[in-house]
Amino acid sequence: MPKRSLSLFLLWALAFSGFAAEPEKSVVQITNYSQTPNWVQPWRFNRVGAGSGTGFLIEGRKIMTNAHVVSWGKEILVKRYQDPKPWRARVKYISHEADLAILEIEDERFFEGMEPLAIGDLPYVRSTVTTYGYPAGGQQISYTRGVVSRIEMHSYVHPGNRAFLTVQTDAAINPGNSGGPVIQDGLVVGVAFQGIPGLENAGFFIPPSVINHFLEDIEDGDYDGFPLAGIQIQPLQNPAYRRMLKAPNDSVGARIDTILPKSGATDLLKEDDIILKVKDYEVGTDGTVIYRGNRLGVSVIFQEAQDGESVPMTVWRDGRELKVDVPMRVFHEDKRTGNQYDILPRYFVHGGLVFTPLSLDYIRTARASSEELIYELNYRRLEKADTMREEPIVLSSVLQHEVNANMGVRGQLLVNKINGVKIDKLEDVIKAFDEGEGDQHVIEFMGEGSFECLDRKAAAKAHEEILATYGISEDRRL
Amino acid sequence: MKKSILILAALLLTPTLTALGQARPNGDKWKASVIDIEITGKSYDYIQPWAKSTRTLNKIGTVVGPREILTTAIGLNDHILIRLQKGGRGRWFNGEVKWLDYHANLALISSDSDSFWDGLAPLELADKDFNVDGLKIARWRSGKMETRKAEFYEWRDRLSQLSFLSYLHLRANTEADGLGAAEPLVDGDKLVGIVTGKGGDTLSAIPYPFIRPVLEAVRAGRSPKCGIFDFTWQPTRNPDTLEYLGLEGEPRGVTVIKVPEKKGRKSVLKVRDLILEVDGHKIDNEGEYEDPVYGHLTIENLTTANGRWSGDKVKIRILRKGKEMEVTYTMPAADYELDLVPDHIFDQEPEYLVKAGLVFQPLTEDFLRRWGSSWTSRAPFRLRFFRSKESTEKTPSLVVLTAVIPDPINLGYEAIRYQVIEKVNGKQIHTLKDVVAAFEAPQDGFHIVEFMKGSAAQRLVLDAGRADEATERVLARYGIPKDHYFKGEPTGAGLMRGPLRRRRGGD
Repeated sequence: MPKRSLSLFLLWALAFSGFAAEPEKSVVQITNYSQTPNWVQPWRFNRVGAGSGTGFLIEGRKIMTNAHVVSWGKEILVKRYQDPKPWRARVKYISHEADLAILEIEDERFFEGMEPLAIGDLPYVRSTVTTYGYPAGGQQISYTRGVVSRIEMHSYVHPGNRAFLTVQTDAAINPGNSGGPVIQDGLVVGVAFQGIPGLENAGFFIPPSVINHFLEDIEDGDYDGFPLAGIQIQPLQNPAYRRMLKAPNDSVGARIDTILPKSGATDLLKEDDIILKVKDYEVGTDGTVIYRGNRLGVSVIFQEAQDGESVPMTVWRDGRELKVDVPMRVFHEDKRTGNQYDILPRYFVHGGLVFTPLSLDYIRTARASSEELIYELNYRRLEKADTMREEPIVLSSVLQHEVNANMGVRGQLLVNKINGVKIDKLEDVIKAFDEGEGDQHVIEFMGEGSFECLDRKAAAKAHEEILATYGISEDRRL
Repeated sequence: MKKSILILAALLLTPTLTALGQARPNGDKWKASVIDIEITGKSYDYIQPWAKSTRTLNKIGTVVGPREILTTAIGLNDHILIRLQKGGRGRWFNGEVKWLDYHANLALISSDSDSFWDGLAPLELADKDFNVDGLKIARWRSGKMETRKAEFYEWRDRLSQLSFLSYLHLRANTEADGLGAAEPLVDGDKLVGIVTGKGGDTLSAIPYPFIRPVLEAVRAGRSPKCGIFDFTWQPTRNPDTLEYLGLEGEPRGVTVIKVPEKKGRKSVLKVRDLILEVDGHKIDNEGEYEDPVYGHLTIENLTTANGRWSGDKVKIRILRKGKEMEVTYTMPAADYELDLVPDHIFDQEPEYLVKAGLVFQPLTEDFLRRWGSSWTSRAPFRLRFFRSKESTEKTPSLVVLTAVIPDPINLGYEAIRYQVIEKVNGKQIHTLKDVVAAFEAPQDGFHIVEFMKGSAAQRLVLDAGRADEATERVLARYGIPKDHYFKGEPTGAGLMRGPLRRRRGGD
């Protein structure tokens, strides 16, 4: 399913309450006044936006909702069922990967008469579920009923570069339903979160295994994240390939194609190891396991582990079976290739030149079409994983001033070197400018190898004036 | 200086506005020179490179000398039949290409038929004294000569339609539509240029100053090739950069930022050289020089100006590490293979290799054009990215696994496609012939095909012992006439026993 065609259900809406019965008393409407930064001019913020979604009370006086409902929130207001009073809430924990968040509300009176909803189990395909929420700008709580259509690994639109277990239902899930509970036999069996524009009768919800992983993760008061095994698995169905690897039989085992550097698997697994079993799940030749009656990618098992936990695997290598415990680790290295939230972009301004890390957010904001930028973000790190730059830096824009007005570049260029220093991260930019000794700073770009010079003394002299002119209170955010 | 040309052009426009759009019925003087050309050529389907079809296009030629018809090269590639018609009607005569150069986008066509030449007369090339107010476009329309007015706008060096070569073009405003078929642009009975296309109201034409040396060389029996500058420069307006490079005095020159990385081609220019003069022409910060006749033109125009060809030497005055010096640069020939992904492969069937259902093809822009008119945004990103790269010693060209034709031998690989090949059986791959050679040396009975890192899968493995029988089976089941086509091999219909399978038969 193309990632681009998915959309988040988050809608402008105003809340009024109406009549309904339990468990709707535990379902709340959330309004989020949010403000996103501008990744091209990273000291700036965009206009305040308002969006609404749904949440529900769980054990421990926690309101669970989607991360995308409360992302970049400046002011979050929650309304109880049939209660016009808005209550201030704040984000206590948020998992942008799994699109889940926990809100807390200081005022204890909020919880009066509300019962927490309990989390149930993964529902079976064809079983009936009911969604609760405040979709499509409605003022009354809305219920929709449907069956579980399909359970599979699916990309989560909010992070953009992660896939987790997802349940598809034909119960109508519309914008504003986001974060609302999906209920079966009085228990929460999912959190409604995304849909596909144009695809009727298909809404998606986050299943209990992902919800519980998040809740267990935060039990110690910190959110660590969802770990990865650090391996890419490919089907092993070709008879010749199986023979070359001396595979034990024809019906089990998929092939490890790639091992991510610095992952828990690096020293334990090898490329072309055949994964036969993960925990007690037998791995099919296409890299899937039967998980609660559904054929799913084996990563569904890896995702059950918490950061640092090991998962036992049986692999086949050189004609022998090996048992290895592979530690699962949270992987941060690819965060720039996904959507980033709640962390303001890093930047450094010198002589009107604005430097910031390359990211998907930057490319999207700048509407950059430079193939060099896109290749660096998505492919070069895969091509040269060992030598990749820690944090590729772009010259984002040039704030026009007489010191830089003659430069032949205006931004959207990857920085290679400054004053001869290779730029691996933003701190290198600052250091290179600080330590530059020549009459000119020399900034070299990647791609064709173009470069520009900036008069060192004039740039330093104009620095404060440029910051003042463009309303930049700090020349850096690190 | 460019501004003053524009003003001049504007002044020239004013008195002729009233004549715009009026077709002149009497075009007698050109009737004996303007020829309709019909070209039938092979057309290739890069999705199925073994499939063949034909295309036909019509264009215009101008008689410029005895048995010489000048036209553009576009459309003449892979031709199988050229037909010529004079007078805008009547009999078609067979023609043949006497000379052509795709980079220059020029061709000379002739005909063996004496009767074809009866009544035809050449147009002479114009010279610098041509009347900018008298420009007309001449062409046959429904058997009648149509002439349309064009108003000179500017001289400018522009990219050739078929190449990265940039050379002098004449631009003129006109209301005539449907231009670009090599229509003659005339002034009286002189040929000023041939039209390559029109954007907005402005046509571009290859003008007489570019055509003349080409004709002279061809008539002298030489077939010179256009030369290019194979270094990359950047405009250097920034005084801080000029100061860094050590330039004193008035700002001038452009900076070399890239020189080719090819064996046997040691560049006399170095990165960070500031180019001050080329062949005595002072170069400004934009990379332009002032031509006494044509005004401001970019450095690239000097590769073809004044009848210069590849192999010719060009004096380049540079500032290197603060010191002025002169180097002698020898121009290499314009060649599509200078790029990692060649713009065009002409006069050749698409190269491919089918092995055990795996289809290998060289990465070319012709292949990428299979994604249609918006191929530059629709073709797979990882493949089109390489278009901006040069062919280097280390990576001269790329081979792509373009499809897997399903067969029991490639079970499990059906979805793999558009992957750049890194190695086959441990051997680095740059060309299809590398692939063939690598398949000759299986690894313990297996063929191991490795893809460029970062691909969906890193490798696939095939049963080497059964690969050739699988190839035969795939060809038979899917109606593929040959397992490969390589450049230079004879073409033809039917099942050809190529060298690959002959070798297997001898095992």
